[in-house]
Amino acid sequence: MTTAFTSFTELIQVRAAELGDADAQIFLRDRGGPQHLSYAALDRRARALAVRLREHGAHGQPVLLLYPPGPDFLVAFAGCLYAGAVAVPAPLPGDRGERLQRVSGILKDTGARVVLTDCEHAADTSLWLAVSGRGETVCLATDTDTDTDTDTDSGTDSGTDSEGAAAGAWTAPRTGPDDLAFLQYTSGSTSRPRGVMVSHRNLLANQDALRRLLDTSPQDRFSSWLPHYHDMGLIAHVLHPLWLGTLSVQLSSLSFIKRPASWLRSIGTYGLTVGGGPNFGYDLCTRRVTDAQLAELDLSSWRLALCGAEPVRARTLDAFARRFAPAGLRARSLYPGYGLAEATLAVSGGEPGRPAGRLTVDAVALEQDELRPASATTTITRTLVGCGRVLDFDLRIVDPVTGRELPGGHVGEIWLRGDSVAQGYWRQPLETAHTFHAQLAGHGGGFLRTGDLGAVHDGELYITGRSKEVIILNGRNIYPQDVEWAVREVSTALGAGHGAVFTVDAGREQLVVVHEIRAPHADEERLGALAGRVQTLVGQHFDVPAGNVVLVRPGTVRRTTSGKIQRTLMRSLFLRGELTALHEVLDPAVRALVTGAGLPSGDAARSLSW
Amino acid sequence: MTSSPPRRLQAPLHQWLTAHLAVYLDRLPESIDPTVPLATYGMDSVCALSLCGDIEEEFGLAVDPSLAWDHPTVGELAAHLAARGADAAHRWQR
Repeated sequence: MTTAFTSFTELIQVRAAELGDADAQIFLRDRGGPQHLSYAALDRRARALAVRLREHGAHGQPVLLLYPPGPDFLVAFAGCLYAGAVAVPAPLPGDRGERLQRVSGILKDTGARVVLTDCEHAADTSLWLAVSGRGETVCLATDTDTDTDTDTDSGTDSGTDSEGAAAGAWTAPRTGPDDLAFLQYTSGSTSRPRGVMVSHRNLLANQDALRRLLDTSPQDRFSSWLPHYHDMGLIAHVLHPLWLGTLSVQLSSLSFIKRPASWLRSIGTYGLTVGGGPNFGYDLCTRRVTDAQLAELDLSSWRLALCGAEPVRARTLDAFARRFAPAGLRARSLYPGYGLAEATLAVSGGEPGRPAGRLTVDAVALEQDELRPASATTTITRTLVGCGRVLDFDLRIVDPVTGRELPGGHVGEIWLRGDSVAQGYWRQPLETAHTFHAQLAGHGGGFLRTGDLGAVHDGELYITGRSKEVIILNGRNIYPQDVEWAVREVSTALGAGHGAVFTVDAGREQLVVVHEIRAPHADEERLGALAGRVQTLVGQHFDVPAGNVVLVRPGTVRRTTSGKIQRTLMRSLFLRGELTALHEVLDPAVRALVTGAGLPSGDAARSLSW
Repeated sequence: MTSSPPRRLQAPLHQWLTAHLAVYLDRLPESIDPTVPLATYGMDSVCALSLCGDIEEEFGLAVDPSLAWDHPTVGELAAHLAARGADAAHRWQR
């Protein structure tokens, strides 16, 4: 059906011709009624914008898209494709902090000479461009002609005369499957952003992979609170509905965090069938939706509650399924999957309608890179949530050091080959060669190294961690997220906090456990006892010495916008002495390594009151 | 800053804010000092946004997502909300 398209640009035009006034997207605003964007309006506004972009020489060039949540983003994205430009979705820079630095980094890395935004943010964006030394970059507001359209609850599509004339002047670009559609900036480090180059062929291939995995059809209706610059938000929740020719109902992540129930309510209101997000969103729903709100929910239409973008926890899924079963949620709807921006998005997922696979394995064997199902005599076990089947990729489990494929039952780095694998990192040939053109011994080149560790068991992919963050101590592989999760179990004072586990080289590699603690009335003695229990846990269950435990205030452990623990950042904050400890126990060699902390010398432990 | 917010409105607001923050921050209400920045008690962005959601539902006011960072103590939050006409006493009597 849809595989015949040569570009996503062509697909949007065909959908617009087929579907006309049908809604492509409904955006639920915090205040005011819903905003509707029809297929016809999307096409007409994209044509008008493409004419403006061409006048600014944007053909073949990166164009930065800085939008608040809402349908204007989708118009701008389509407008870039209609102009033959390369869309670069990014968050609004804001006025301070990490996000500002990150977007400034993206601006610099792309070298974009055109930035698109809306009227509300045009002045701030122009100021930001000037401050960034890019005053010559053109900033266009794209909602100028359509204010009145988008403010109304219905009938958005009358358009204006000037826009209609501009749309009429548009001619289709000669876009081929190997031209770039957009750059996806993953949540990599602030200082070195990496833009994944996604071609039209990649995008169309991954849309078809999504259809085969999720068994989607135009009868599905999508639901999302994810940001549009997030890969899972963009590919699965904004573009997949368009590719199918159906509706997506969106709300901002801000609305969702303020009122998680508003997202769940929209599922019943619009009869939505597919949608989801990272693990933490499900936790938030379970914790904050009240009994009264629960009583009004209808989740019976929800066919696939997608879970991805961060490790999927069995406990989170079980708690969510239990809490919302009275609202008609089926436990088998919870759908973990695996994907990454470097493969456009989707790599694997379960069989719709069947519960996600679980595998309880021998934790000791897992540390030795072996996936061995637990037996009656296994003493320490770990339960993994399966990420389903791999349909459209040549997937290999590879020893990351030797580059050789590993036999079945072994954990190794996941390598991929297929039409969804992106073209590389924008303007970074060395990193591109290393990551996207890996040579598999005896099988040729062209493999993507995902940096993720996993194994295949009975045809199902299990993700066990990130290769870059795997800690190797005493010949054992320790997965930091496992230690972080286990520390939470030590005490309720630690259970609500986040942790970051990493190693430092103080003559030998040493484990450092940084964990947030909520214990307002704890004195030095109690904090010392808790730190001692953490050390016991790590020593006993992970078989490595835990010489360094740093208990910190809630909010100290840094995470990315998608909730991933920033272990590398935490490690450098620790080494620079920039973590304020409520209580810490440090090995003398590590203490000597930490600079500028102004620590009292000779003390094995110290505390601060709060 | 707003000047001389109506003081009689502020005591019930203190109480309402403290009760809600105690839940998000997992602390006893009496341990929250209205003059101490909430970040000291472990406020993060999810906690701050949760408070915004609850304020909007309770008082029918639209507040900025940065509210709890711009007015970082219970005292400052109460003064700001009172100046905008939030009336916790009235709400609690419903």
